[in-house]
Amino acid sequence: MSLKIAIVGCGKIADAHVEEIRKIPSVQLSAVCDLEPIMAEQLAVRYGVPRWYSDVACMLESEKPDVLHITTPPQSHLALTRQAVAAGCHVFVEKPVAPRHCDAQAIIACAVAGERKLAVNYWPRFEAPSLELRRLHETGVLGTPVHVESYIGYDLSGEFGMALKRDPEHWVRRLPGKLFQNVIDHVVNKITPFLTDDQPFIEAVAWRAEPGEGDLLDELRVIIRGAQTSAYATFCAHARPVGQTLRVYGTKNTAYADFAARTVVLGRKQGFPSALGRLFPPFLVAKDYLRQGLKNVNSFSHARFHFFDGMRRLLTEFYLSIEQDSAPPISYDEILRVSAIMERIFDQVYPEVQR
Amino acid sequence: MKVLVTGAGGFLGVRVVERLLAHGYDDIRCFLRDRGKAEKLLALSESYPDARLELCSGNLRSKSDCARAVADASLIVHLAAGLKGAAAELFVDSVVASRNLLDALEERASKPAEPTRIVLVSSFGVYGVASLGRGARVDETTPLEDHPELRDPYSHSKLRQEQLFRDYQQKDGFELVVLRPGVVYGPGGGAFSSRIGLQIGPVFFHLGGRNLLPLTYVVNCAEAIVLAAGDPGSAGEAYNVHDDDLPTASAYLREYKKRVKRIRSVSLPYFVTRMLARSLEAYHRRSQGQLPAILTPYKVASAWAGNRFGNTKLHALGWRPLVATPDAMAETFEYLRQQDAKKA
Repeated sequence: MSLKIAIVGCGKIADAHVEEIRKIPSVQLSAVCDLEPIMAEQLAVRYGVPRWYSDVACMLESEKPDVLHITTPPQSHLALTRQAVAAGCHVFVEKPVAPRHCDAQAIIACAVAGERKLAVNYWPRFEAPSLELRRLHETGVLGTPVHVESYIGYDLSGEFGMALKRDPEHWVRRLPGKLFQNVIDHVVNKITPFLTDDQPFIEAVAWRAEPGEGDLLDELRVIIRGAQTSAYATFCAHARPVGQTLRVYGTKNTAYADFAARTVVLGRKQGFPSALGRLFPPFLVAKDYLRQGLKNVNSFSHARFHFFDGMRRLLTEFYLSIEQDSAPPISYDEILRVSAIMERIFDQVYPEVQR
Repeated sequence: MKVLVTGAGGFLGVRVVERLLAHGYDDIRCFLRDRGKAEKLLALSESYPDARLELCSGNLRSKSDCARAVADASLIVHLAAGLKGAAAELFVDSVVASRNLLDALEERASKPAEPTRIVLVSSFGVYGVASLGRGARVDETTPLEDHPELRDPYSHSKLRQEQLFRDYQQKDGFELVVLRPGVVYGPGGGAFSSRIGLQIGPVFFHLGGRNLLPLTYVVNCAEAIVLAAGDPGSAGEAYNVHDDDLPTASAYLREYKKRVKRIRSVSLPYFVTRMLARSLEAYHRRSQGQLPAILTPYKVASAWAGNRFGNTKLHALGWRPLVATPDAMAETFEYLRQQDAKKA
């Protein structure tokens, strides 16, 4: 069975969705839609999508897609999910899932009530380093996670950062967590698999480090403490190079994942006595990195080293869950835990925002 | 006559305002996105104390800002456009923004007595040169691009922008003048157009060889825009804008190395670039985009096929370069040298 896919929202991230959908042979992208017809047209023309629309109701009626990808600003996700589910579509939503936690709850409830499947684009969770960390965790190599450090760097002078800075009306500015809300899903959703608590202790602090006037905070530090596991979540716009890393400290081993270099290495125990114990570990770590490098070369040679490879993997699993009527790749409980943690962070760093 | 200049704070915009003032236009609304870029415009205002220079900051993505911008303006010089970034951003800043501006013109409550004239600053990128063959002459009779999706998103967005203006012109009947500059350069601008080559990692790949560069010094370009704006016979016309005495890409690179700084460059002949592009495109397809197709045979034929250029039509307007190419290059390289020294 070939699933029919449609996309609503033709901004920058829609390009990534189109490119990853096209890599999956069992599905076909039939149409794209944007309230702004010029944007729908440009996406369709650039990628040769058969049809484009400026009215989502019209697209759903004419195309009858199996899956609707929602890549609009998060303020519209709930209404579009309701519309899609009412039209019988499964839904793939871009992050952040919604501006507020109650909206995220309503989105999930809508999909559950309509017996449609839903996934959120937590694509770094499906990148090779995440999968390797998951394997290390599930096979007991790490032991019980004691502490997790999730870090994401951000370049405010990049394409999106510049667009945000230039446009005082940008939709990101209207989110309760502003810039952080558009990014830190990918920080928090890497922590939640190791954190079992529903209501962990959270303390967040944020400030603006960019010189000059402006209302956007651009540095965020969060301490999360659960019953068994604690975590640090960091959003940093001024450290270079811009990276994305995750360190998991377990009772047996510590693992360090670098998402930019796509490597995962284990911390080494001292196996040698005295000064020798300090002499050998760098070579052992170097050997680990060499092995990881060769693995990456292998992935590259098999054309599995794309920037959004995690999204392709996530989409493949999501589409498969639809075809086989099995559980979607990310549990709804986890989507809600991420959303709840994020809301508590924003409550602390932007207390003036009315919710 | 109230003149509106969009993108007035930009590299070209400031010079256009300056040339408008020099040609006697004395009521100019400077629309700029970033108020921080108003400094040079304020300096111009001091040089022309009798002229009314109104600074109007806003974003053409906003319909209400567009309404403020076009109020009472009978001559609109539309420079604002997306120059870099993701395709979606380029389309928003060039095409959606233009549509907002045109809608605001349609909807404005009080229209000036004189007919509205719009001067659109487009680009050489709108021409469909890939199918013309090597060494073909590009002028205003060259057909527009048939396959914008095969080109870079900037050219695509500029072509769509032109089409949009033509559609509205048919509907609303304003006077439309289109200018298509080649490579605008000068102090404040960048060092290298892709027509010279591409910087990939630490190496500059010189792809332009001995091709002529359709350079237009920013002051000369601004002069062309203002002359076309004021010429009664230019309505409905398009003009290519480039200077006389065009240098070759290799001469430009040589001068840059001599006057600004040494850079590591590798020259690729056209046939090698073509072969490389073919391989890269094939790999891009086979690997489903693992490496971006920055070079394709179509893009190579569009940018590096050794086209010749003509500016006869522009000369017929009475345009002459205000700054000769050797002086313009000297000023540009001196600016780039100073910038480089500052960075160091």
